[in-house]
Parts: sequence; structure tokens; C-alpha cells
Amino acid sequence: MVRLKDRYLLVNIVYSDTPGAATKKQTGKVGQQQQQQQEPVSDLLLFNQPTIGDLTSQMLLKAIRSQVNSLFGDCGSGAVDRRLQVKYLSPATSTFILLVSRAYYRLVWAALSFMDSVPTRNGRRCIYRVVRVSGTIRKVEEDAIRRARLLILAAKREMAGEQAGTALDALFGGSGGKDVARSLTNVVDQDVNDDDDDNGSTAEDAEMSDG
Amino acid sequence: MSSGKGPESRKRKEPPAAAANTKKSGQNFKRPKRVDARTIRAQPADAALEDGKLDLQKFLNAREFEIKAIEDSMRKCKAANSTRTFQQVPRAMRRRTASHNVKRIPKRLRERAKREQVADNTPTVDAKKRRPRTTRARIRAENAKRLHVLANKKRKRQKEKELASGATEGSNSALEMKIQTRQPRPKILRNSLNAPPQRKSKFRKRQINKTWLPTHLWHAKRARLTEPAKPLWSFAIPLTSTEKCYRPTHRASGQKGVVAWDMSYMSTMGLYGTAVGVERVLRALGLTQEGLWGNRGQKWRSGSRTWTGILSKQRKGSVQDIGPATIIWNPEPPKEDVDMEGSDSPRQPRRELLIRTHPSCFLELFNELVKLVKMQSPQLQVEDLRYEIGSVELTGPGSTETLLGILEPFYDKADTKECHARVFKSLVGVINPSSLPKNSLLAFSVRDPRLAYPPRRLNTSTASRGIPLIETLTKWPIEEGLKPFGLFNRDSRFKASQLPTQKMINKRKGTALPGQPVRITDADPPIPVMLFSSRPTADGHAQGTWTLLAPWNCILPIWYSLMHYPLSTGGNPRIGGLDEVRQVAFEQGVAWFPGDFPGTEAGLNWEVEERKKRKREWDKRPKSKKVDWKSLDLGAGRKGELGDGLACDFEFLFGLPKTAPAVDPSQHPTSSASQDPEQGNASPMPVFRQISKSLFNSLLTSPSLEKPAAQSVITVQLSLVTRGVANTCARIYRLPSRPPTSSQTEVPSTVPPLPDDSSLPADLRDQWLRQLPLKSSASRKNKLPAAGGQDKGAPSQKPPRIPADASMETRKALVAKSLLSTKLEYPPPPANQFNVGGYPLCPNEEDLIGFVTTGSFCLSEGKGMAVGSISAAKAIDTLKSVDAKEGRLCIVRNAGESVGWLARWEAI
Repeated sequence: MVRLKDRYLLVNIVYSDTPGAATKKQTGKVGQQQQQQQEPVSDLLLFNQPTIGDLTSQMLLKAIRSQVNSLFGDCGSGAVDRRLQVKYLSPATSTFILLVSRAYYRLVWAALSFMDSVPTRNGRRCIYRVVRVSGTIRKVEEDAIRRARLLILAAKREMAGEQAGTALDALFGGSGGKDVARSLTNVVDQDVNDDDDDNGSTAEDAEMSDG
Repeated sequence: MSSGKGPESRKRKEPPAAAANTKKSGQNFKRPKRVDARTIRAQPADAALEDGKLDLQKFLNAREFEIKAIEDSMRKCKAANSTRTFQQVPRAMRRRTASHNVKRIPKRLRERAKREQVADNTPTVDAKKRRPRTTRARIRAENAKRLHVLANKKRKRQKEKELASGATEGSNSALEMKIQTRQPRPKILRNSLNAPPQRKSKFRKRQINKTWLPTHLWHAKRARLTEPAKPLWSFAIPLTSTEKCYRPTHRASGQKGVVAWDMSYMSTMGLYGTAVGVERVLRALGLTQEGLWGNRGQKWRSGSRTWTGILSKQRKGSVQDIGPATIIWNPEPPKEDVDMEGSDSPRQPRRELLIRTHPSCFLELFNELVKLVKMQSPQLQVEDLRYEIGSVELTGPGSTETLLGILEPFYDKADTKECHARVFKSLVGVINPSSLPKNSLLAFSVRDPRLAYPPRRLNTSTASRGIPLIETLTKWPIEEGLKPFGLFNRDSRFKASQLPTQKMINKRKGTALPGQPVRITDADPPIPVMLFSSRPTADGHAQGTWTLLAPWNCILPIWYSLMHYPLSTGGNPRIGGLDEVRQVAFEQGVAWFPGDFPGTEAGLNWEVEERKKRKREWDKRPKSKKVDWKSLDLGAGRKGELGDGLACDFEFLFGLPKTAPAVDPSQHPTSSASQDPEQGNASPMPVFRQISKSLFNSLLTSPSLEKPAAQSVITVQLSLVTRGVANTCARIYRLPSRPPTSSQTEVPSTVPPLPDDSSLPADLRDQWLRQLPLKSSASRKNKLPAAGGQDKGAPSQKPPRIPADASMETRKALVAKSLLSTKLEYPPPPANQFNVGGYPLCPNEEDLIGFVTTGSFCLSEGKGMAVGSISAAKAIDTLKSVDAKEGRLCIVRNAGESVGWLARWEAI
């Protein structure tokens, strides 16, 4: 029986133009407002910002395709195009789930790594962080839920008055180093697992997940 | 291949127009549903912002929404992805056949299945619109049509006639209606076989060469029966349930539930006459144990216990087993009050006995009985009660509960209540019939079970049940006021057969107040029943069996109630067929008659039938897919299967001419029981005989007794020691003896004179003993390496293991060394010379001792088990020559395979 083999990527959009780091002209609307009001905003909120502007899945797909094209040429884009889909896109949480064919998901991942802005007009600077790769959407969804839970916990702690530790913690949505480590290992582990059934190149993949 | 038209026409047609119009069918309808289920709701960015500012609360809300949305989608996806109805049918139902037929699935799923089929456009067949395809079907259809027309005409004519007669003589016909005729009591001939009861005319043609069980119509819908043209023992017997039932039966018979069989095909006989004469007849049938006729057998002879054992007959000085039978005495009427010792008094007390036996040996036993009876001086009588008394068997933890739930004693007032009924009612809480006193028997009268239909769950939770039950079980107060059993009485049996019609009962139920039980009236006869429990083995751990004897016509109403009894552990009793009888017996380690008794006539007939069946199956297979018996490689240059590979070839074992198949046609079991008794004598006598476990043990222990006849077999249970599963027809070998050389004689020239072609290794026995799993016995551990050292024949001398932490250089060096040091013989030895794929070779033909008659993986033991028969003489020889533990080891090799498995046998 013919079976389509896919990979699902859970991607977070992380904004790199946080007020402290970014210049005034590059910042979007939010940054300007914050600059104006001079309110102290926690790192947790800064790094997990919503995606403003009408980002649609079509735009996202187009951007990925063009990036793949520029990186890997026609062959790469042709290979990726066949099965690239956005299964879920939530601007409020800056999270999306991509469906890619299993053989070429690394191309998409690489393209995501090279993309540096939200693909809207005057898109903000951002990083696309692939946090989970899986063969079934269920596992990806479960991971998204887990991450959202961790963020909620962190936010609640914040509300209670505790300051989150470092900017890195906020970025990874964890409450401590342990969680960060776990979430990192998760990605790496998952990736290695993929290679088992891929029979593909382990070394190459490990590099990508590192980068 | 066909042209363009063929594949086109085979494609599914478009869904019906009406369905297509509404756009609610097929893919059109399903697709948006699926898309809807798969989309995950998402919020716009504003939801996470408070007036465009970052806000913690909003951030939280956005995450919570995301979690909820994703969980929601996961749930919906699962529901939308859900399986089709046909994937949800109960586990036990068979899938493949007609699984597109909505009528075959449970009612609760039917509507949905119909909808799905319309949506999917599944091709279905409407039985009414199908036109007959074969010639035969067409003729049948035409016939049916014509008959329909004829019947209509007849009905019309009758109506006209009635109208005419009613107009002329209305009063006369009313008078005629009032005259009632008595149903004729069935005739029972003495000392000869009886004809089966008059069948309904509608079913008469189908029962020409067989008899239906009372529950035939019920079973025909739920079980696979014997083929119409090939009945078993002249009955249409349910073989197995149509449901998948192997594991459920195992569970129901041992752990939870009940398995019930309609065993009405078991044959009953009545034996009537003086006590002395009866005793003489029974002694001639092999009931020679003095315990039976002394004080210990008093209870049996008084009618409060049953006896079950193997009956045998005398033939030219030797004893030939007939088959197992249960013998029940009718208690003497109390007014005579004659004790057994006074049986020599001038007034000879008349006794009545019931002998219940298997239909495969019924004819043999009946003929023998008739012969014995005619030899007695005050003549005794034998009656054939086959179609008079039917029976139901139940096994499993819920069997007692089920019986209590469906059998309501007829006399429920304290003064008239039968004492057996009282004991029976106090058995609430018994979960194993074998916890009752051995061979216990209860006989009483019950009501028509239809009056209390549907049966209700028994209230088992009543407090203070424990002590009376234990008291009952220990005292077993059934001897007081023992009266003759109703089932022995022809009149009461006949009266019980005249049950009121279902219509009458429905009417009474309708008039009864809601919630009130239906009262017994004069129209309800008491149904005499007899219940006895039996234990499968002596130890009494396994589940026992209840046997319910009742008049033939009362079996059906009892069966209906039985099958609908709601067990306290959930579910209803399961039905069993012949396969389940065999399965339960096998799992309990009991030999099943007739299959596991090749030393009896019935067993031999069974074996011959099985051989033919196997041959047919074998013939059907293509040449490349069947075992070629002649080219089977047994190792050490031996070729060919021992004897017939498709048979438990006892003729080969005992060196007898292969006669059985030749005489077989005359002894077809279908024809045997139906005709006159004289014909049965033409059947082949099994030239080898069965000996019992007790006889075997006494032969083994006492040196004074002479050896058993060379051609005698004993039934054994085999449990495979290490691994492997034995199948029917597997060969059983004893362990080969050590060649009498080396140590004693010390002369190297006297190499044991083995045949040239079969040069078995000298240490074959040790090789086999080494297969035994090593326990903690240090002695064997010490011995075995020594034995292994002699093992020069085996070429598998393994090089030393490379240590795990060795460096690459060391590894290379070690590998090179091992390559150089391993000596390979050139030319290489022929395959299977010293072992078969690493397993020891099977012994030679002279060590063949028997065959497996039943064998498979046993669910109760969790390993391969088997029941087989082995030559008693060889078994005793082996046991006497070595110690008992080693002597009971044997090797089992499936027919057509060259690898044998070590097993341990135990006489049963």
C-alpha cells in the first residue's frame, strides 16, 4: 500500500527586535508604544509576542517556498512544494504547525532558519524556531499544549511577583534551566529518531538542530 | 483481459440520484466534515494584546485558548476519523463472510451501517431481487413459485368448503370440536432399538438418515453443524459456534462464565430386572471392583450417587473396552424397604438402572447388553431410551448459578417439597461443581422454565449463606426419604412432554398481574430432571461439569431459558459444540472419547474417519504444498515417515496388517446406529486393546503379574518439556538406549552392530537428556559437561568469545586466530548427519512407542500439551529398565517434521 510519509514541524516565531536590542526605526508598532510608555515589560512577554499584522498561512507558505527556492534552487522547491502545508497558524501565540514530506523536511527547516522576518509588508525581524518534529500531528499538538502549559506556569509566577530569571529562560518559555535543557533535548532526540527510519545522514541533521 | 467495458462495468455505480441531489451523501458530505474536524481554531493577534500593549493576563488567555483549541481539535479529529460500523462489531463476531450485510451486525449498529452504506455506495445484495444464477437455484425458485400458487389454491378451496359446511351443519361441527383425543404414548420396545420420535412433516425429509437434537433449529442459526449428508453418530451435532470462541471458551470454562452443550445425542439405556441379575450383567460389563458391590458401593446402589467408568466386554478370553458410561440406579420404593443384603430373599426386588453412554459406542454396548440380558435366567430387560431422555451439560464457575436460576422446583410447599430440591436450592454460591461430594446426584421435579421466562439473575448476596452451604456440602442430606426418580417413570416422562403451548403461556402471562409470577395450574406437568456433577480428574481442582437429564421434549424450553440467563459475572452462558467438548477435555488433561481411545471400537472408527478426512485435505493441496512422506529426512541417512503420515498408525506400531480402512465402508457410523443391531457385529475388531491407568499401575508395581499383551495401548498425557507443540498424529518415541559397549566390555572391536544406513550417534540419549532445562541439581551439571566432551560428532565447536572491551587490534588477532584454528571437515559432512538443525536426532523405529491423538498449545498450561496413546508393553519395559523420572521422558515428533521435542508422559 502506498503511504505518504510526512513530518510535522512545530515552529515558534521569536521576535529578535526586543526593545532593548532593536533600534527605534526597525521596531514595529508594539515596540514604539512600549518605548513611549517606558513601562517595564517582562522578558517572558517580550520574547513570546503575538504576531501582529495579517499574517496568513498563504503568505507564510509563499515566503518559505521562495526561501527554499533561493537556497536549494528549483529542484529543492519542487521537492518541497509537493506536500508543504500549514496545518495551524495562531498569530496570538506566534505558533504554527507545518506539514512537510518526510524526505525533504530538512530543506524546509533550513529555509526557516534562514528566514529573518515576518513575511508581511514591513515585517518585523524574527527567528523561526523549530521546536518539535514528529511523524504524527498528535504528538506535535501534544507538545504545543505542553509548551503552552509551561508558559502559563511561568506567566503565573510572574503575576505572583517573582521575576523570571534570565532572558534565555523567557525565550525558551521555561521556568528554569532544566526545562530548557529538556526542550532542547527533545528537539535533538526527535531528530535523531527520525533518522532511524530515514536511514539518512545523522551528522548533517544533528548540525542543523544545533544551529 | 477484457476490453474497456469490463473494468468500467465493475466500478461502483454513482450513488442513487436522490441521495446525490441532497448533497448529503458520499464524499461530498464527508469531506467538509473531515476538514472541519481537522482545522484548529486560532485567535488573531489582538487577542493577546491589551489595546495594542503586551499584557500578562491577555498572554495567559491566549495560551489557554490555544490549549483548549488544540485539545478540542484532537478530540474532534478522533471522532471524525472514527471507524466504520463494521469495525465496531463485537470481537467475537466473525468478520469476513458477508460483513457487508447489515442484517448480520448487532441491532444498535444497524441503522448507522445502513447510512454508511448508502453514503459509501457499498454494493449490497437484496435477497428478494436476486435472480437465481445456477440451474438448481432456478429450478428451486420455479418450484417455490408453483408451490405457492398451489397452496393458495388449496387454502381458497378449503375456505369455500368451510363456508359451505358451516352454513349447513353448524351445530354438528361445534360438537366435533369438543372431542379431544389423547396423544399416544410413545412405544418403547424391549430389548431392541427404538425408532426416533415422529418428526414434524415439514422437517421429516431432512431427518431421513439422522436425528435432530431438540435444539436443532436454535443451533442451526448459531453454530456449525455436521454436514447434512454426513451426520455424526446418526445425529446432526453442533460442531462449533459460528462466533470466534476458542479463547472465550477457555475463559468461560475455567475462570468466568459458563459453557453449555446440548448433549441430547448422548445415548441412554434402561436396564430392568432383579438385583442379582443386574449385578451379574454389570459384572460382565467390567464393573468388577469389589468396592462397588460391597459397603462402599451402597450409596451408588441406593441411587444417591452415580458411577462413571469404562465398560468392557469379554471376547474369547480377552477383555475389550467398549467406552465410558455413567450408571444410575433408581432408588427402591420406600414401602418395600428391602435392604441390599436381602436380595437373595424369595421376593426378588426389581431394580431399574439408567446407563448413559456415548453414541459412538451405543450400538456396541446395546448389543452386548441384549446378549447378556438374554443369558440371565429370570430375564432382564433393556430399553433404548435414546429419544426419551435428553441432556444438557454445563461447565464453568457460573454453572451452578445458572442451573439455580433456571430450574425452579415444582413443589415449593414445605410439606411436599422434595428433599433433593431443597438441597439443590441451597447450593447458592457453589462455583465449582466438583466441590460437591464425588459423583453426587440430585433428582427432582421442576416447573416449566417458560413460566419464569426471561430468567432473572439469582440473588447470591444473601447473608448467612456460607454456613448452611458448607453444612450441605459436608452432610449431603439426600438419602432421607429417597423415592424412585421421576425420570425412570415412563408416564411421568410422557406427561412432562405434554407441556402447554407457548401461546397458552403467553396468555397466562398476559392475564397475570404485572410483577407477579405465573401460577402453576393443572395444565403444567412437573418435569422430572436428574442432575449429576462430575469431576474431570481425581484431584478436583479443575472445573467440574453438571449434567442435566430431562425428558427429550423438555430440553428445548430449558435450553431457551439457559441461554438467556444473565450471569452475575456478566454475559450469558456460551454455547459449545463438539470442538469445545474436545477443547475443554484437552485443557483439563482428560482423554476425550472416542478420539483419544484408539483401543476401542468406537475410537478406531473415529480414527479411520479422521484418516480419511486428512487424506482428503492432503489430496486437495498442490504437490508443492504438501508433505512428501517418502522424502522426509529424519537425519542420519534415514528417509521417509514412519508408517502413514496422515494417521495415528498403530497398525504400523504393532506390525499389524493395515486392515482398518478396508473394512471401513461397512462400518460407516452414519448407518450403524439406525439399522438393526445385528449389522453392527460386522465392524472391525480393534486388535489392540486399551488398558486402564489402574491396571497399568498394578502391572508396573507388582512383578508377579505377567506382562501386558504386546498389543495394548495406554492413554497418556504429554507435556512438552522445553518448547514445541505436538499435533495430532505426532510420533512418540522413547529415549534411545545407550549402546551396550565401551565401559563394560572394553573391547573396541565390538562396535554395536548398528545398521549401516542409520549410524546414530552413540551418545544420542545423553544428547536428549541434555535438552532438559537445567534446574539446581548440581549433579547433573557436573555430569553434563563431561558428556558434552565426548560429543565429537557435532562440528559446532565455538571459538572463544571476544571480550567486549577488546581493542580493534586484539579483535582482529582473535578473529584471525579463530579462523585459522577452526577446522572444517573436507568434504563437508552431509546435512542432518549428526543433528537436525542443531537439535538431536530422533531415535530409530524400534523406539517408536505411540502416537499423539490430540495435541496443540494448551491455554491452561501455557505450553504445548498433548494426549496420546503409547504401547503399554514398551512403556513398562522402559519404566522398569531406568528410573521412573527418566523413564517417563519421551520424544514427540510431528508427522512430516524431522525435529523432535522432549516431553514427559503421564498415564491418565
